Amino acid sequence: MARKSRKYGEDVPFSLTSMMDMMTIILVFMIKNMDAEGQLLTQAENLILPVSTSKVQPKGVSLTVVVDNNYVVVDNAKIVTTEDVLKQEDLLVTKVDSVLKERRQVEIDHNLAAGLPADEAGNIVVQIDKNIPYDAMYKVMATCGFAGYTNIAFAVMQKNGGEE
Amino acid sequence: MAKELKKPAKPEEPDLLPAMGLFTILIPMLLSMTSFSKLAIVEVNLPERSMMNMDNDTPPEPDQQALNLSLAITSDYLVIGARGGFQPNVYFKEMWTFRCKSDSKLITYSPEEVKATVEAGHGPKCQDGKEMDKEKYIYEIENIELWALEKTSEEDPGRVRWSLYTSQGENVPDSVFVDGNNEFFAMTGEGPGGLKQPAGLKKPSAGAAVATLTPNSARKLKPEDAAKSIVYPLSAYDIIAKDLIAIHAQFIDLDDVDNIIIVANDDTQFDKVIQLMDRAKAAEFAKINLAKLGG
Repeated sequence: MARKSRKYGEDVPFSLTSMMDMMTIILVFMIKNMDAEGQLLTQAENLILPVSTSKVQPKGVSLTVVVDNNYVVVDNAKIVTTEDVLKQEDLLVTKVDSVLKERRQVEIDHNLAAGLPADEAGNIVVQIDKNIPYDAMYKVMATCGFAGYTNIAFAVMQKNGGEE
Repeated sequence: MAKELKKPAKPEEPDLLPAMGLFTILIPMLLSMTSFSKLAIVEVNLPERSMMNMDNDTPPEPDQQALNLSLAITSDYLVIGARGGFQPNVYFKEMWTFRCKSDSKLITYSPEEVKATVEAGHGPKCQDGKEMDKEKYIYEIENIELWALEKTSEEDPGRVRWSLYTSQGENVPDSVFVDGNNEFFAMTGEGPGGLKQPAGLKKPSAGAAVATLTPNSARKLKPEDAAKSIVYPLSAYDIIAKDLIAIHAQFIDLDDVDNIIIVANDDTQFDKVIQLMDRAKAAEFAKINLAKLGG
């Protein structure tokens, strides 16, 4: 029996229903995961943040110091190697301190120009790799304090991705 | 005249093209706003020693009425101190749980095992037999666990204590169960070092009266929760969390009841400090200071 083949010219309706189902599922998933407030904090590269139960979000954009296995980075500029920080005896990391003091002065000048109080404590977020020794963390944190950044916060990853 | 019945018209499929266009715009927009791992912050007070160094004054006389609570972590134990005294040491065995890239499964080793493997020129092995990168295995550590040890003396290497936990799956512990007297369902493990799960410690059955360290969490266990519970080595963090909650409740009238100083030695990993800070916050210690051991 000759096989009956469909003519090329025949108008076959294109069904979008299955595509719509897929799109609806993706849309619902996206809306569930959407963060309408945006991200004030983004994770730096080359480090793994510790997981914490904290759900506290930063109140504003702050200066960020990153301590990974290789470098101490202030505002995306590599300042000193983490190895050097670990080797030094002194609590104050001088290179980081001078950069932070410059930044702090800029912030104070900006506040004065805007008519805001200049003597308020500076805010800083420190992103530290979870395997970094306490010694390095402590020196960097103390240096932030010496430079006038006394409101210190550590960046962490929310437990279970922030899900309840 | 007979009424002429109208044949039902063939249902027309709605025009979905405009909706598709809308979806095509919405999905990339939402994709750009989606965050798959959420970041947060943990606020901390400045180091005690740096503050003392700044003004070169002699430290003030200790207040006899104050609690002066501190929590110290060394490489072997955790200890809570207050008013010049210390609670018994909570000894632990540190364990690293890796999530392998090759099979996405969890595997736990002690740091000594990992170091011996790396020194032999290999990376730690995954469950599928593949080796992790011996240079970058540290990035595959998912959890640094502190398994509580039962010790009879300082020289005793100790045996692992086991307890009952809730779990979200993958045999990963979540919250520890306690009984009506706020005691852990804990037993010492069997075999060398107590690394084998004790036969006498069974998963709780449905209907069992349990609680977690969260206030007002006493309940009868539902069948689905009973099925999810696991027997797992008791975490030293949980022992400390229970003690901190009890201390905060006991000394609630003191002025410095919300203060705690976490003291660590130089080589303590940052992750452990954050875990202790989490436990202190959960026990309602709002003001956390950090200090160095011997500093």
